[in-house]
Amino acid sequence: MKVVPSRSSEWVRPVTSQKPASAIIEIDRVSQVFQTSARKDHLALSNISLTIEEGAFVSILGPSGCGKSTLLYIVGGFVNPTSGAAKMKGQAITGPGPDRGPVFQEFALFPWKTVLGNVMYGPRQQGVRVAEAEAQSRALIEMVGLKGYESFYPKELSGGMKQRVALARTLAYHPEVLLMDEPFGALDAHTRTRLQNDLLNIWERDRKTVLFVTHSVDEAVFLSDKVVMMSKSPGRIREVIDIDLPRPRRRNELLLDPRYQKYVVDIERMFDEVDETGSVS
Amino acid sequence: MMPRSLSANVIFGLAPIVLVIALWQGLVSFGFAPVVLLPPPGVVFGRLLKQLVTWTFQQEIAATLIRLFAGFAIAVVLGVSIGIAAAASPAINAIVRPIVRVLAPLPKVALYPALLLLLGFGHGSKITLVAADALFPILLSTYYGASTVEQKLIWSAMAAGTRRYEILFKVVLPAAMPSILTGCRIGLVICCIVVFLAEMITSTDGLGHVLVTAARTFQAVDMFVPLIAISLLGLILNGLLGAVRSYLLRGFPEA
Amino acid sequence: MTSPSALARRAAPMFACIGLLAVWQVASLALKNDSFPTAIEAIRAIPDILGDKESLINILASLRRMAIGFGIAVLVSIPLGLLMGRSRAVAAFFNPLLMVIYPVPKAALMPIIMLWLGVGDITKTLVIFLGVSLPVIYHSFEGAKAVEEKMLWSGAAMGLSPLQRLVRIVLPAALPEILTGCRTGLVLALITMITSEMIARQSGAGNILFNALDMGQYDTVYAMIIIVGAMGICLDAVFERVRARLVRWSEPQFDMPLSFS
Repeated sequence: MKVVPSRSSEWVRPVTSQKPASAIIEIDRVSQVFQTSARKDHLALSNISLTIEEGAFVSILGPSGCGKSTLLYIVGGFVNPTSGAAKMKGQAITGPGPDRGPVFQEFALFPWKTVLGNVMYGPRQQGVRVAEAEAQSRALIEMVGLKGYESFYPKELSGGMKQRVALARTLAYHPEVLLMDEPFGALDAHTRTRLQNDLLNIWERDRKTVLFVTHSVDEAVFLSDKVVMMSKSPGRIREVIDIDLPRPRRRNELLLDPRYQKYVVDIERMFDEVDETGSVS
Repeated sequence: MMPRSLSANVIFGLAPIVLVIALWQGLVSFGFAPVVLLPPPGVVFGRLLKQLVTWTFQQEIAATLIRLFAGFAIAVVLGVSIGIAAAASPAINAIVRPIVRVLAPLPKVALYPALLLLLGFGHGSKITLVAADALFPILLSTYYGASTVEQKLIWSAMAAGTRRYEILFKVVLPAAMPSILTGCRIGLVICCIVVFLAEMITSTDGLGHVLVTAARTFQAVDMFVPLIAISLLGLILNGLLGAVRSYLLRGFPEA
Repeated sequence: MTSPSALARRAAPMFACIGLLAVWQVASLALKNDSFPTAIEAIRAIPDILGDKESLINILASLRRMAIGFGIAVLVSIPLGLLMGRSRAVAAFFNPLLMVIYPVPKAALMPIIMLWLGVGDITKTLVIFLGVSLPVIYHSFEGAKAVEEKMLWSGAAMGLSPLQRLVRIVLPAALPEILTGCRTGLVLALITMITSEMIARQSGAGNILFNALDMGQYDTVYAMIIIVGAMGICLDAVFERVRARLVRWSEPQFDMPLSFS
């Protein structure tokens, strides 16, 4: 697949490479308790505070059950935290909104709509006129490499193609923040690397803020400016690591870069530690 | 390859039907059953074809169809809206659930005498009975479909700016469509059965009434005709619903 | 189990019954119609019916026919449905025939079967058998079809013969679906029983109902409706208990409202 640069399409926001780092999302002492049975509570997240800067690509990394997806759902407004608060541009998050666009591991495409119908859903919901919404959506479908598949139904597409549609559907309503919940977790290894490359290409052109949940260390290092390492039981932030690697990143160069290799090895060791301590307690 | 195995399947599937008819013919031909009690299949189908072109028989079919469609339509509207409301609102759920648990297993046909007393012997009581019987399978499968809608589908729509009340029509209803249509298929068959029975128990027209009239005068041939007619009617309606289903569910896997 | 909310949930159907009877009471008082007695009047007439020896014998005879018809239907239908589910050939053979029979009201066969076999127990039991068979076959078929192929491969690898696989793997795996079919079948058995008696007008609960209607004994009509309704609800509740015990291992029935509201 080739990513065709489309200068004319309106969804591309001007690239500002040297913008001042301002906080777009603030997570303030958030805790989340789930009731697992009548008298047992499970502390999924404990006192999480995190600030995400505008235009940053931030990965949340951790073992299964550390509450990383829950944290993402709280930012999305899908789940209300038990205590603490999340803010978007200083405003408390009370529910989902088109300023924060989710991409789920399960794709969650509308099975009754075609590829074009799925991508057009957001703009139409925002009140964009049909012709305009269709033009924008077609451009996006082309950008994610699915030109020619506009009238296909999701069931006729492979997993990788479905996730491309899901990404296009979310980009179509211009969210300021992309919330990606293990988006490539259900894909095979090869498709996964291709989608990582394409995501990076798309992101490096307009630098939307991305909050990316994953349990893959090299995925997190390859994509992110910042990796938030979490430990489980209860879910806590263990460490925040800045990934100081040059952009634009190219996979074939990066894999040979000793700095990249060191990040991966260090973070993998840390991952082992949090997984062990978590399983003991 | 595909069409050949398909037609082989069709022939294979027709075999037992042919067998039943052959057995039927055999019983008559070899004198095991007197013709008065079991008329030969040729005579029955001949009578059916002759009846189908007569004005009076067409009117009987029309009477049955009107009741069937009216009852089915009421059941679909009520079943789908109550089912979705019960899935969407805990308050409605708390009221609907126990009532459904009590009314669903209740044999609705036992209510028919009461309906006759309250609504009279005309269309009203029969349509109500048909609707009451078809309502619960449609309601229950709608509820099941609506309450198992994938959470992330709803979240995706909400993030795209869909308001909460819109979610019901834009996500829950279409996502629940496969199970709603399954419920409708069960409901439709029930409608065929119930409308016929209601007409048999008390009526002055309709296919069920044709059967009862024939039974009173021991006309075996005329007893078979309405039974075959309702069976064909059921098959045709089921086929139509199947076509609607494959159109509405064209995006869903395994539809 | 004994938390107040669980208790309230268990008592909810009781409240629903009382609520429905109350609505009936109010409606009948408001309508002031001779042919629509109040709920209390109808309930008062119940002991008279159950105390009358002939009525009681009639009702019990109805129930016996129902039990026999239901039992035979289940015994025949489950094996047939399972075979259809595991063998394409068997399914292709029987499916069209069943599709043709499906929309035929089984109780409507009464007059014809009566011509052949008379008005006795055999006719009515046969009709009930026919009514119960189809849903049980259908659900057993669906349940057997959905059994994981790899589970059967594992069974074959362990040396189970095809028959053993059917009995020891397919039957238990399809049991939740089979029991759903039996539950539908049970309610249908009751419906067919009442309807066949309404059509044949010879004996049984359905006959009492319509005789009372003809004679204008409206209290008795409504009392019988309550009795038949109670039978349906009780049979269903008992069966649901049994079902829940037998398939404790399977997924609990979905019971939660959506969380977006």
